[in-house]
Amino acid sequence: MTQHLDDDAELYALGYTERERSEEIEAHLATCAACCERVAAAESVAASLSAALPPMPAAAPQRRTWWPQLATAAAVVFAATTALEVGFVHGESDRVQRTDVALTALASTHFAHTTLTSRPGLTVKAIYSRDGAWVYVVASGAPAGAHVVLRQGAAQRDLGALDDGAPATLFIHEPGRGDEYDIVAGGNIIAHGKPMY
Amino acid sequence: MALDEAAFNDAYRAHAGRLRAVAYDVLHDPAAAEDAVHSALMRVWSGGSYRADRGALLPFLIACVRREALDTVRGSKRRHLREVKVAADDPVAIDETAAIDPIEARRIRLALDTLPEGQRDVITRAYFGHRTLLEVAREADLPLGTVKSRLAAGLRRLHTVLSLGAAPS
Repeated sequence: MTQHLDDDAELYALGYTERERSEEIEAHLATCAACCERVAAAESVAASLSAALPPMPAAAPQRRTWWPQLATAAAVVFAATTALEVGFVHGESDRVQRTDVALTALASTHFAHTTLTSRPGLTVKAIYSRDGAWVYVVASGAPAGAHVVLRQGAAQRDLGALDDGAPATLFIHEPGRGDEYDIVAGGNIIAHGKPMY
Repeated sequence: MALDEAAFNDAYRAHAGRLRAVAYDVLHDPAAAEDAVHSALMRVWSGGSYRADRGALLPFLIACVRREALDTVRGSKRRHLREVKVAADDPVAIDETAAIDPIEARRIRLALDTLPEGQRDVITRAYFGHRTLLEVAREADLPLGTVKSRLAAGLRRLHTVLSLGAAPS
């Protein structure tokens, strides 16, 4: 698509374009600096509008939240992103700037996630870098001592046991790439899923 | 570790509050709002769709979360999310005292006051009054195309006003 976005730039920034149209717009934005600038301007206004919203009520029961896990994964990814110059990170005043640097590192890091197929009552997600440099496994409802196994063809590698947290987690440096992540307990595979590199 | 993880988490949660508020404003359901934020961030991170030349990151993330939340409503099989409707006389004003950022909320209200009435009306009904664009068109007795063009023009004008700095009165 080569045509400029016109009013769709602002409608997109406010979320009023259907998903199919949004995908067309994103494809156009990858090639058009002028429209990027226009969308960024509209997004900055939308961000200002959002400052006038009330906060989400805090009373809701914590059904489950991935924030602590994501924050940890974000910090880990950030630490692993050696290409970034972090020398300017000093003092309290640039805390927000630091956050943006870290989130930018995340946003430009190629990692993916998959929800493993598992028995009822067990939820497992694997967040992994596409180059096989790390994997972060988060599991709710896993039995104590469950292990994460990475299969590659006929070979398999035991990556270690999930911790006993709630949810249980495991972070592994350099697991390499594989065909499938399995969660194994008592000799049985209780969850499995394929990474998409 | 190169990063002060505690400081990172503090600031990270500060962003999360804003993102949750944006999703909750659309969905009116805390669990669905959490899901929308989670999905939007995963989509951004796994897709690598953000580039620095697209502008500042936080506005980009806010836009992604709002889009995700509205996509959820549009495509939702969850009945209670589809049935979030507003009464025709629901207020569409900004409540500065309840805002996440009261000072910025005041700046926005003042900037909105500088818009032509037609543009201001469409933006406040759609954004703060939780109407779909079709509902705005119906209420204001306007063609849908006019609602869209007023919304877009109003946003461009707001950008100019906010960039210049809305004079406090």
